[in-house]
Amino acid sequence: MRIHVYATLKDYFSPEFELEAVAHNTDELKRCLADINGQARQLLDSCRFAVEEGFIDNEYKLKENDTVIVIPPSSGG
Amino acid sequence: MIRSSSSLPPVGVSEPPLGVCEAISSEPLDIVELLRNAHHPAAGAVVLFSGEVRDHNKGRDVAYLEYEAYPPLAVKMIHEILAEAKEKWGLQLAIAQHRIGKLDIGESAVVVITAAAHRGEAYEANQHIIHRIKHEVPIWKCEYFSDGTHQWGNNCNC
Repeated sequence: MRIHVYATLKDYFSPEFELEAVAHNTDELKRCLADINGQARQLLDSCRFAVEEGFIDNEYKLKENDTVIVIPPSSGG
Repeated sequence: MIRSSSSLPPVGVSEPPLGVCEAISSEPLDIVELLRNAHHPAAGAVVLFSGEVRDHNKGRDVAYLEYEAYPPLAVKMIHEILAEAKEKWGLQLAIAQHRIGKLDIGESAVVVITAAAHRGEAYEANQHIIHRIKHEVPIWKCEYFSDGTHQWGNNCNC
């Protein structure tokens, strides 16, 4: 699945990349991302996830062709 | 009319009376033009908030800011926040526009305008809208300091 990250997450990951590991939900996705860069583990716990224009929670079943947006805490304004 | 960058995904335009601008803009925010579109015959109070780039934060000299957003979701959320506030406070108008890209000191990063029959609702709704935009909408600030370092987020004192 395709992963897009924003803001401070770009200090830990490429802005866009293909996730080779299999993740069926957001909890598994967090673990996969933390395996790539363990320094991001705490930040990942405070992130939200979205597919297209909607947030997803851990109940959402991730599909191989999903593009998942990883959203760190907002800091607009 | 406010323009947005052609590099951004298409963004929705609020139907009047919610707002007449695009919610995310890579161009400087035109506060005068936004305010010009914020008058309504039933509104006796119009409140405009402009969040602007200051030259310091927590004792450090700020050189400039950069804002990033995930526009497909940010635009949708801003429209929902405006619609909810309009309903809750009975506003005649609710407008919000957030800038992205590089901003120099003194530039406006976000504008929220609320118009209501009386000032109480206009002030309260305006405060509510900017609070939710800052804390919920996928928009991020990166501060670039005069010593050459930078820092994402972690800069809200409210």
